[in-house]
Amino acid sequence: MSTRESRRVLAELLWAEKYRPRSLSEIVNQEDIVKRLYQFVKEKNMPHLLFAGPPGTGKTTAAHCLAHDLYGEDYRMYMLELNASDERGIDVIRTKVKEFARSRLPANIPFKIVLLDEADNMTADAQQALRRLMEMYVDVTRFILIANYPSKIIEPIQSRCAVFRFTPLKKEDVMTRLKYICEQEGVKYEEEALDIIFEISEGDMRKSINILQSSAALGKVTVANVFKVVGLAHPREVREIIKTALAGNFIKARDLLRTLMLNYGLSGVDVVKQMHREIFSSEIQLPEHVRVEIADYIGEIQFRLVEGADDEIQLNALLAKLTLIGKTHHTVKATSR
Amino acid sequence: MSERKLPWVIKYRPKKIADVVNQNDAKQLVLKWIKEWFAGRPSRKAALFYGPPGCGKTSLAEAVAREYGLEYLEMNASDYRRASDIERIAKIAVMQRGLFAKGKLILLDEVDGMSRVADRGAMEAILDLIKITKSPLVMTANDPWDPNLRPLRESVLLVPFRRLTKTDIKRALARICELERIRCDDDAIKYIANKAEGDLRSAINDLQAIAEGYGRVTLSAVKAVLRARDRVYEPFEVVRKIFISKYAWQAKLAASQTDLSPDELIQWINENLPKQISNPEDLWRAYDALSRADVYIGRIVRTGSWDLLAYAMELMTAGVSLAVRTDVKSKYRWVKYSFPQKILIMARTKEVRQIREDLAAVIARHLRISKRLAKSDVIPYLVAIFESNPEYAASLAVGLNLSDSMIKYLSQRNSNRIIELTKKIREQIAREAREESRKEPPEAEAAVKTEAEAPKTKKVRRRKKKEGAGLEAFFKK
Repeated sequence: MSTRESRRVLAELLWAEKYRPRSLSEIVNQEDIVKRLYQFVKEKNMPHLLFAGPPGTGKTTAAHCLAHDLYGEDYRMYMLELNASDERGIDVIRTKVKEFARSRLPANIPFKIVLLDEADNMTADAQQALRRLMEMYVDVTRFILIANYPSKIIEPIQSRCAVFRFTPLKKEDVMTRLKYICEQEGVKYEEEALDIIFEISEGDMRKSINILQSSAALGKVTVANVFKVVGLAHPREVREIIKTALAGNFIKARDLLRTLMLNYGLSGVDVVKQMHREIFSSEIQLPEHVRVEIADYIGEIQFRLVEGADDEIQLNALLAKLTLIGKTHHTVKATSR
Repeated sequence: MSERKLPWVIKYRPKKIADVVNQNDAKQLVLKWIKEWFAGRPSRKAALFYGPPGCGKTSLAEAVAREYGLEYLEMNASDYRRASDIERIAKIAVMQRGLFAKGKLILLDEVDGMSRVADRGAMEAILDLIKITKSPLVMTANDPWDPNLRPLRESVLLVPFRRLTKTDIKRALARICELERIRCDDDAIKYIANKAEGDLRSAINDLQAIAEGYGRVTLSAVKAVLRARDRVYEPFEVVRKIFISKYAWQAKLAASQTDLSPDELIQWINENLPKQISNPEDLWRAYDALSRADVYIGRIVRTGSWDLLAYAMELMTAGVSLAVRTDVKSKYRWVKYSFPQKILIMARTKEVRQIREDLAAVIARHLRISKRLAKSDVIPYLVAIFESNPEYAASLAVGLNLSDSMIKYLSQRNSNRIIELTKKIREQIAREAREESRKEPPEAEAAVKTEAEAPKTKKVRRRKKKEGAGLEAFFKK
């Protein structure tokens, strides 16, 4: 045990993976869903599945656990995992997925599984192609689709799937898990710090564990360390950019934006979403109706980001809007921090 | 000395048909056609040689004339602008081949240069000429589908010329260097050939300019000459013209006078717009137009509908300049423009971005999430760890099997120390594994699991073999 312990310290993994449940029996929440999934394992049969729900609520984990319980330790041999966010085009569906779906069924299993994570990021064309595959090869291949927003999955696919709605995790579930991890890792923690981690991660288990791990890397999970880590990970640059633009300095705001995107490799949509959050934070003083006005334009820009070609140009348009609003509403004061 | 003054494009003009670089298909067509003339039964009286500039259209006509002993009469575009000019040519064209007089080959260069309005009547005159000519008539054009040439297309032999390859051009340049006894570096020639975009004439002109300016052709000399000519000044001018336009057509015209591509041009405007325009209202209106132009470009890129380009161009030029309505004077201020930082940054950070992509892929696989999520949600926390706790960072780096460049990406402060530590950890793991296997073999199975080591490979392989082709074949790929 002692040698194993020392080794674990030698080569560390990300806790979000290290403490991921491997089997359905290890999943502590989403009881109703787990119960129904158990049934599939027992019967060795299942329909196509659609797991929907907010991030970090255990959708991907549940899918892996299900496959694990169906096929045993080597379950990944019988499952094709794709992340539609990275491979979202129709070509992937037509080649990779199709080839896997039609490949011969090994004698020892009832069906193969295609796991399509972030399926709501698939293009409409790809979804249409997918729908046909789901019909054609249903006897040998079952699909598990995972999505944050099930409404972005086309109707014909939804109607072919058993839909499982994952609910946001309860605070006590997240807290229990975080405490369990701390005990396993021999990490000291402040109760209040865990509270704050839950608040920041908005119930997203994976995010909570990420914050926990990096706070622990500072020595102890204290409130101060949590804030320090979050500060390091999410610098106030976005807020700074907004304030600079509101103060009328467009060019400086643009320079800051470039540095931010360069240093963090953020996509335009990432930045826009962060800006959206900031606009409604108390750190930025704005008349309430102006917050809504800005939110409307942020939404418009997010739409154009998806349609357009160059993230920076779209974000610059947003900065120009902020500059204009800053000038129009002299009441706007940029307080620091 | 005087020989040096002769432009090489003329000095090294192909003397024989065989000297014309490439264009075998065109040669065959033309030779067959000329033979028909000599047999007295030409299927077509005129031929239209078409293809990109500098690919050998005129050269081939000249070489044919020379090889077949025909008198070569070349008419430049300015010679046959008006109907009366063509009639003058016609008088020559209808002359019979006399006993002593040589046959003729008449070349009308660049017929697509005629404008429908200004050169009215010229096209009819050419069509008449084709009917009556008793000598082979050759015309050249870059774009045979020019609407002006429609009446012509039906009555001539169409001879397509292909764009010359870089290899063709390199070979031709090297030959000239040899004949001129000039020292030429391979990479220099390659550079010229790349820039030439299939235009041998311009490549030879470049070669001569450099050789005469520098005495020999080196890469640095080539760059010095060709870069200087390379639109360094031009985009600034274009941007200025767009900004000061009063009318939409002015702005659109300005954009047509550049060889910047639409996505380059939009970057030039994006970069310099806030320098020129300071009034927030104007700035926002201008950026809103630019943003919509970018949406059209995005749609073009995604769907390939180049039809939309017109709208993109209008919004990024006229849309921007006419957005300035509150502080109109600001348009005319003199401002120093700069090269688009975005383009510079993208070039400078290519390597870093690649490392980030690779790192995101490692994490995405590990946590079973998308690369996008890895970049936005996980890498920032790794940075926090790597910047604050080198020891722990090192053990993570080993566990996730990160490369040194990934470690450097994650920590600017501690990277050397972390890399140092990972080496030690790896050595220790190896040492312990050795000891373990010596001491008690069964325990060895508990060896460290790292993500990269794929712990189950052995078992998996054995199992796989049993189960036949289907899935195995799939995963092998």
